Amino acid sequence: MFCMSMPALGSQLIAHKEVAEQELTVAQLKRIYSMRQTRWGDNTPIVLFVLPSQHQDHKTFAHQTLKILPYKLERIWNKSTFSGLGVAPIVVNSPEEMLKAVAKTPGALGYMQEISRNEQVNVIKITK
Amino acid sequence: MLLKLQNRKVGNMLRNFWLALTGAYCSVVSYHALADNEQKVQWHGFVAQGAIDADGSNFVNDDESASLALTELGINASYQLTNDIRLAGQATYLNGGNRYPDGFSLDYFLVDWSVFSNEKWQTNLYIGRIKNYHWLYSATRDVPMTRPSIILPQSVYFDATRNLSIGGDGAALTAKYFSDSYGDFDFNISSSESDISSEQSRILLGPKSQGKLKHNKDLQTSIYWQPDMSSWRFGLALTDADFSYLSGDFSGFLDGTIGLKRYYFNGEYHGEKWTFSYELLQETMEINGLLSKNFTRKPTGQGGFAQVEYLYNSDVKILARAEHYYADRKDKTGTKLNQISGGTIPQHFGYQHEFVVGTTVDLATNLQLQLEHHWIKGTARLTPVVIPNSEVNDDEYWQLAAIQFVYWF
Repeated sequence: MFCMSMPALGSQLIAHKEVAEQELTVAQLKRIYSMRQTRWGDNTPIVLFVLPSQHQDHKTFAHQTLKILPYKLERIWNKSTFSGLGVAPIVVNSPEEMLKAVAKTPGALGYMQEISRNEQVNVIKITK
Repeated sequence: MLLKLQNRKVGNMLRNFWLALTGAYCSVVSYHALADNEQKVQWHGFVAQGAIDADGSNFVNDDESASLALTELGINASYQLTNDIRLAGQATYLNGGNRYPDGFSLDYFLVDWSVFSNEKWQTNLYIGRIKNYHWLYSATRDVPMTRPSIILPQSVYFDATRNLSIGGDGAALTAKYFSDSYGDFDFNISSSESDISSEQSRILLGPKSQGKLKHNKDLQTSIYWQPDMSSWRFGLALTDADFSYLSGDFSGFLDGTIGLKRYYFNGEYHGEKWTFSYELLQETMEINGLLSKNFTRKPTGQGGFAQVEYLYNSDVKILARAEHYYADRKDKTGTKLNQISGGTIPQHFGYQHEFVVGTTVDLATNLQLQLEHHWIKGTARLTPVVIPNSEVNDDEYWQLAAIQFVYWF
């Protein structure tokens, strides 16, 4: 039921312009979104942005790209946030807000369903 | 008159908590406003209220009536001071009836130093008031939406000893390692001391405890492994803590010491619809003194649970859990316990077996309803521990039902 409601589009990763990484593997992405890797290669903190758990684009990203159900991601984030171990991703309300937030926040990483060539952010390729 | 005094006390408590929350909120919001552009500050919280009814035991209250003593509130903030240093803290208010001392507390307040990181390693040092990061649910046992059930399995997460294992003032070192061949590893080590309140002493020892129980030494360590591309994760943990009791003028106990060693083995499987988890415990509680000058006792308890969670749809989860606990692995029927107490402690204080069913319903974003029912045989995980209350807990079979609403942000 969950899968059938998903559109076929894949998610694209966007990062702040100063983030040097041009590609990330799916395994790296999983570690980043499950809070096991919280820093970029130059040691700056990764600032994660996500859409609300109920947002269709978030479900698509979690299910198709990360292959982790949204409620499990939320459980991981809550465990980290409410124990003092780490910082939860910042929730933005819409893809437009996501783009603006990632563009203005150093170290930011987010995702969008569709993005063409963009001067404001760094579009990161997802590799296997 | 007594009622008026109690009402006044409750009113003062609520007013103090409201002031504390308001103060925390205002300070956090002002920081938030200052640093909004850089996203350096985050604040979160939770509010949970429920109703609970333990029929046939003093688990929640002595008169076994339905109770609203199921309140959990918390607010936290995190501030990224520099690239490598972060400050974080959380204040809570808890009321669980007889399960643990109620009131406000500083849950954690720490400096998080990112010591070393590269593409394989991430190492952090936490200094201050830290949590216990070693068991499956120990770091967030008071945070309702992170638990599989309202009441955690008492075989492992015994509420009476929660303050002895929840964390304390000290330091923790955590290291996460990724291997292309073997998967993800977590190494954790910590040492801390917690302040044990007189109420906590009475919950653990009994109502005649008028002295001071002190946490002297504590060392905790754990390792977790998730094989590459696997849905399984396994963990091993060891905790070793020593306590001393100094009797007061009117204490019913003598000076003494308690040593508590615990070994854990746990595992979790995360499928798309199913989650399976288990945690096994062996604990040795060595008591010297307390009851008489030369008294010594060193029982080794064993227990654990296995549970399945099924995602019925994106909003509804169903839980089933079975658990066992023996206070002394060499006395699984409680016969010896009954004999050495001269028949005053019934055999059913030697074990506690439980079956639980429950459900969690997401009513809206960040609003959850939890419901559960426990069928229990035995009373080994009821309080007090050192001198059990066999008058109130005279039923071998008892039940527990609970409902709780949770909101978090």
